[in-house]
Amino acid sequence: MLRIKSMPSLALMGLFVVSFPLQSVGQNRNYSSWENDLGPISEIDWNYERAAHLLERAGFGGTPDTIQRFANMSPSAAVTSLVHFDKSSPNVNSFDHSGIHDAGLDPFPPSRPATTELAKKNGEALGVKVKPTGNRRLQPVVNKFFYWLRASVLETNRVSYWWANRMVASEHPLQEKMALFWHGHYAVNESKVRDYRKLLKELELFHEMGTGNFRDLMVAVARDPAMLSFLDAGVNIKGAPNENFAREIMELFTMGVGNYTEGDIREAARAFTGWNYDGLEFVVNEVDHDNDQKDFLGHTGNFDGIDIIDIIMEQPVTAEYMAGKMYHFFVRDSVDPELGDQLGSLFRNVNYDISLFLETLFLSKDFYSEASVGTHIKSPVELAVSTYVKLGLSEVPGVPDFNQTTSALGQALFRPPTVAGWAGGRSWITPGLLLERGNFARDVLFPDINFIPPDRMNGSREIQSVARRVREGLDITAATQPSSIGEGQVMAESNMLADRDEDFNTRYGSFRGWQMAIQRVKPIPRHTAQVDLSAMVLKQEINTTSEVVDFLIQRFMRVPPGADSRNMLIEFLTNELGTENIVEAESYMEDSLRMTLHLLLSQPEYQLS
Amino acid sequence: MNLKNSMKNKLKRREVLRRGIAGLGVAGVGASILHSSVMSRVAEAATLAEANGKILVVLELSGGNDGLNTVVPYGDDAYYRHRPEIGLPKNELKVLDDHFGLNPGMAGFEGLFKDGKMAIVHGCGYENPSYSHFTSMAYWHTAAPNSGEEYGWVGRLADNLDPSGSSNFLVNVAARQSLAVRSQKHVPVVFDQPSRFMREAFFEEKEALDRVPDVGSVENPSRRFLLDIARSANDASELVRDAWSNYRSPVDYGVNSLDLPKVVSLIDSGMPTKLYYVSYRNNAFDTHVFQNNVHRRLLTYTSDAVAAFVRDLERIGRADDVALMIFSEFGRRVPENVTLGTDHGAANVMFVVGNGIKGGHYGEIPSLTNLAEGDNLAYTTDFRRVYQTLINGWLGHGDGPSILNGDFESFDMFS
Repeated sequence: MLRIKSMPSLALMGLFVVSFPLQSVGQNRNYSSWENDLGPISEIDWNYERAAHLLERAGFGGTPDTIQRFANMSPSAAVTSLVHFDKSSPNVNSFDHSGIHDAGLDPFPPSRPATTELAKKNGEALGVKVKPTGNRRLQPVVNKFFYWLRASVLETNRVSYWWANRMVASEHPLQEKMALFWHGHYAVNESKVRDYRKLLKELELFHEMGTGNFRDLMVAVARDPAMLSFLDAGVNIKGAPNENFAREIMELFTMGVGNYTEGDIREAARAFTGWNYDGLEFVVNEVDHDNDQKDFLGHTGNFDGIDIIDIIMEQPVTAEYMAGKMYHFFVRDSVDPELGDQLGSLFRNVNYDISLFLETLFLSKDFYSEASVGTHIKSPVELAVSTYVKLGLSEVPGVPDFNQTTSALGQALFRPPTVAGWAGGRSWITPGLLLERGNFARDVLFPDINFIPPDRMNGSREIQSVARRVREGLDITAATQPSSIGEGQVMAESNMLADRDEDFNTRYGSFRGWQMAIQRVKPIPRHTAQVDLSAMVLKQEINTTSEVVDFLIQRFMRVPPGADSRNMLIEFLTNELGTENIVEAESYMEDSLRMTLHLLLSQPEYQLS
Repeated sequence: MNLKNSMKNKLKRREVLRRGIAGLGVAGVGASILHSSVMSRVAEAATLAEANGKILVVLELSGGNDGLNTVVPYGDDAYYRHRPEIGLPKNELKVLDDHFGLNPGMAGFEGLFKDGKMAIVHGCGYENPSYSHFTSMAYWHTAAPNSGEEYGWVGRLADNLDPSGSSNFLVNVAARQSLAVRSQKHVPVVFDQPSRFMREAFFEEKEALDRVPDVGSVENPSRRFLLDIARSANDASELVRDAWSNYRSPVDYGVNSLDLPKVVSLIDSGMPTKLYYVSYRNNAFDTHVFQNNVHRRLLTYTSDAVAAFVRDLERIGRADDVALMIFSEFGRRVPENVTLGTDHGAANVMFVVGNGIKGGHYGEIPSLTNLAEGDNLAYTTDFRRVYQTLINGWLGHGDGPSILNGDFESFDMFS
């Protein structure tokens, strides 16, 4: 905190500096014209507040130390260090696999019925043979099916943790922020892909190519097993094209709806026929590929998928669509149409080089204009990660569980709601979710002592009840009877479908699969957030509760709460401590400081960056 | 509704009025202003709910439900010609009449239809259909196909029914607010888990947390939005949480209750809500590959939950007051694809369920031989006719055309 002391005006006037950043420096300059101006800001306009804004948007915010380090650079040096980072310098550990994938699991059948059909036909499935005689001959196969479903989910949660830790600790925050952008853009869902390895591989692709060339990235994603599996590309074959993949490539990944016809979709689907994956490798099945002529967006030829992508890249609308989407993510919700054209031209002129595009964006006056600063509603992942960053943590706590938190707030990694990703902006907030955001802050500052690790204990009551009855020595049929229902009530059909097939019992498989999964998936460490607010505050060499509140506002808020709220917080802290003088309260103030911070982080303004 | 239930509900409404105000037990600056405005808003909404005690619940099946394998036209050979592999044979169906049978997994719907509590509306769609989930869903949400409309049709309906924008008039159980409920004058109550719809806080913190600053002169539009939402959260969270914790039902909703028990809990608690919106989430019905097993399971869950919903409403004596409309953003392509699934299509069936319904078939049955472009069902019923039927026929509201931006003919669907 020496740095704060070296800039006393900020520490002492925190509130005012935050409230009136534009007036605090360069008073003779005309800032009202900054909106929609892509020209670079000059050094004279560079300051702590703008560096803080840059770090919020291009990364996940910063501690005062980090912000000051960026403020001490020139604006172009600051932006360059974020955008043109050195990918070869590893600053985080690679993912530590639990080792859960077994030979025979590939290709994983689409459903439990498909698995048991396969086993009946071939005498084995998923690398497990059918028992020659006896009761429940297919049970081991069904167990294995559920094992992989559960294990892949749990391991995906570990990949999320690994990624979240990178977001918190990486020296290259834009690499992580851009990976998050691409994950929302090329949104694939674990519940369909059902293979953490493919999801990890795709994330590595985003880390590697996320700030590179957009055309190359699009080609790589089109050949990526996670995406191929998610959009059913594997079943897109000559003579019977499946349009899912071709449609989404145009509608969501490059051009946006309305810039092509249904005919273009059908022709593009033909060009992608035969594209498939084998395990984690991309393959083209030549016999399934349609080698005839295609008519696509005014071009005619024997196109394959790469040709289709290259034709799409020639469309001016592609650059506009993608530039607009990045602008939404990094700058603000609404784009002036004229600015939209300029952004499209810019992205085309740099030949789809993402880092060059972002460099211009992050240096632009528009990026620092009043319309942009403090108007972005943080996504749940941004909220959680930036809270940890601002608390000065170097890793994500195990309590609360990062995946439960972000899931409750509406952004579970690797589980975007649809192929369109997360809508973002105001859709992040509902009355329920706003309360939940405050609860997240409380969960960090006051960890729940009743916390049950979701990677050990299955939350499904059905599985818990089967587990209990199996331990009590009941046979499988008795152990898996659905829980009884009230007298005179009708049982739902879905609950009656319990155990009709004598070759296997699905409910038992579901229980056993979970048990097998927790035996093999490594646990997530469950430390709580290591925070010492008393020490943090005392380092500031401040004395009064109002100074403490101003310090917390300065450190955590990009948009300070109104005067009423500030007064409320000061009053609250003073009451709790029984004094305005924090030095007197040093030995017992931690809980009160945490409550005060909880109140602050529950303010509507904390959702803004 | 019998007298006893009617009394019970009146009592409950009064209780809500009381609790609605007490729930905002805030002190300090501006509290008195807050009290009086909330009091009048809660009171107004309660009065409105009395005026026509009818409630509309909308259930969205996201992903594009395959209507042809839901309400199966087994009497038409063309169905089996289009679907040699995935067509459902008559002997497996829940046969409704000499032409249609329900998917084998839909015992719940079968019961509702045979009891005369379900209307099946055929051929619902619109001109120049979009095959994009997001675009077509937006058209259904806004009731404005191939055009732009900022607010959702349920949101506009709320604005029209209650221009004062009273609290808790419109509820959307969801992780994210649906475009359908986006409203100019109302802040919809959107929550997912009622038990989580609360601020977890120390006793000492509560007073501070209950205070929502006035929007006043705030210029930052995102900040204004957040302050509005914070106010709505304060208005609703305690009511919703209490309703849910008081709710005990012996009714079996099956594996996926589609948030319908939450709706029943709120109705039973006497919430002044007239419009509810729930969904089968996450594009679940997008069955491009190997669809029959998964589709049947989805339909069983839906059918279980809907049938249970009606039984549960009967249990609390409110079944006569609620209509449930079920839709999906499109149907699916008539011919099956080679991967034993179906691709995005056009016209589809809709359902309206409730005690007040004259059950049966509505709308012209689309031809399976004269298909529209792209091997799709040609729509025979503009879907907004069903919206109009509910606005006018069910809620008894005359302003349908101004809400739907057009005059659509109602079906005579209510007894």
